[in-house]
Amino acid sequence: MLDTQKIKKMHKLAVYESGEGKQHLATSNYYRSDYIGLALIKNFFLTTIGYGLLVLGWAGYRIDYLMSNAHRMNITLLIAGALAGYVILLVIYSVLTYIFCTLKYARAQKGIQKYYKGLGEMKKIYDREESRNEKITGRETQS
Amino acid sequence: MTTLLETKQKIKNFYGEHDTWILPLLKFLLAFLVFQSTNYIMGFFEALDNIFIVLILSLISAVLPINGMTILVCIAIVAHCYGVGIEVAGFAILLMILLMILFLRFTSRDNLALILTPAAFGLHIPAAIPIGAGLLRGPACAVPSCCGVILYYFMDTVRDRSTVLQGKETESLQKLQILLDALINNQEMWLNILAFAVVLMAVYLISRTSADYSWRIGDAVGAIAYILIMILGGMFLNINISIGSVIIAGILGAVIGLIIEFAALGVDYSRSETTQFEDDEYVYYVKAVPKSFVAQAEKSIKTISSESGSEEKTEIAEAPEIPEEEEEAVPVERVAEESFDFEKKLEDSLKDL
Repeated sequence: MLDTQKIKKMHKLAVYESGEGKQHLATSNYYRSDYIGLALIKNFFLTTIGYGLLVLGWAGYRIDYLMSNAHRMNITLLIAGALAGYVILLVIYSVLTYIFCTLKYARAQKGIQKYYKGLGEMKKIYDREESRNEKITGRETQS
Repeated sequence: MTTLLETKQKIKNFYGEHDTWILPLLKFLLAFLVFQSTNYIMGFFEALDNIFIVLILSLISAVLPINGMTILVCIAIVAHCYGVGIEVAGFAILLMILLMILFLRFTSRDNLALILTPAAFGLHIPAAIPIGAGLLRGPACAVPSCCGVILYYFMDTVRDRSTVLQGKETESLQKLQILLDALINNQEMWLNILAFAVVLMAVYLISRTSADYSWRIGDAVGAIAYILIMILGGMFLNINISIGSVIIAGILGAVIGLIIEFAALGVDYSRSETTQFEDDEYVYYVKAVPKSFVAQAEKSIKTISSESGSEEKTEIAEAPEIPEEEEEAVPVERVAEESFDFEKKLEDSLKDL
């Protein structure tokens, strides 16, 4: 006879595994510090590329002004300003990434804990079934 | 209302039975709508502006995840820009990468709003996006929605200035300047971004309160806020905004919000109950609002045929099916004590407890 409760639990676990659980399981492979550290390194590269593109776009937009006033401009100040902008952007995005990854990791841990709890319950059901089967077969062999 | 609720229940049951093909079908329809509106707004790349290509792309989108559809639509936009000029396509790629790096990487779950916003502008119902996102999603959805506004105004700029951008006498850098100028100095775009953010937050905050009809109040407040921000902002910033179209967009947005409320929430506030109790640590204020539910009358067709088989009558009963009585009582089986599983019976009774 079909055990509906067991099927329901298995379905729940399968849905989680194929849905958000896939991401959660990948996240939980890392230690929290490793996960956040990796995300911060990724953020460093992405922010650098983004800032580079922004500067490139701005330079293209103001190319006429830059070409005609290049000799009058304080290049050191310009570079310092660009670097300051970069550092500010990097700090802002690093903080955002840290908060985002911390929340994401915590959510993943919560999901994984529930998943393992479900797996534990499944194991208990299987153990119970196994012991019952053993008892029945034992009785049959006795008789 | 009862008919509507019955229809909703029928649709839910139907979806429950056939969700394996209904979900891809809905995705196909959504993709078709988005690709068609992209072609309507731009339509410079002739190969894409073809119904068969749109159908094929929609079919591909139907089997891809939602973010796959977003990427396909972005590629279609870049292709249309390529139809205007390679510099415009380059600018479109640059803009999308920037949006992705700076904003969209934090909101991967809500990025559908990025492509739905231009489609909503194309259908003249932009207010539907912040209202819908506020009701169904959360504050994070404001980011892709506002990026969608930028994307739409970029597409609009390319369409408006296509003759200048296609001209061979215009230099590449000039084209870049034209596009950037049109985007940065487009006050209508900034006003829309402000309206989207404010409306979405207002709808989200109001709809999450425990007040009666909070979704409807949030919906109405969102529509009014959108209309007011757009009209007053247009007056103060001297932007040429069509008041009629803004009001219609607000009203249509509110109607779509009501449809979303009916489909996603569906509660009966007239039967809501409140109670208050406390334990050692807390005082609990509980409000329970029952969901609107109509028991469906199942139609069962009974065929009664006479013994000779010459006449057949068909009867339609509106009442729920009554199980037929068993003809004979099944004799009670005597169970041998050895084969009776006491442990299983005990477990079953414990489960009931």
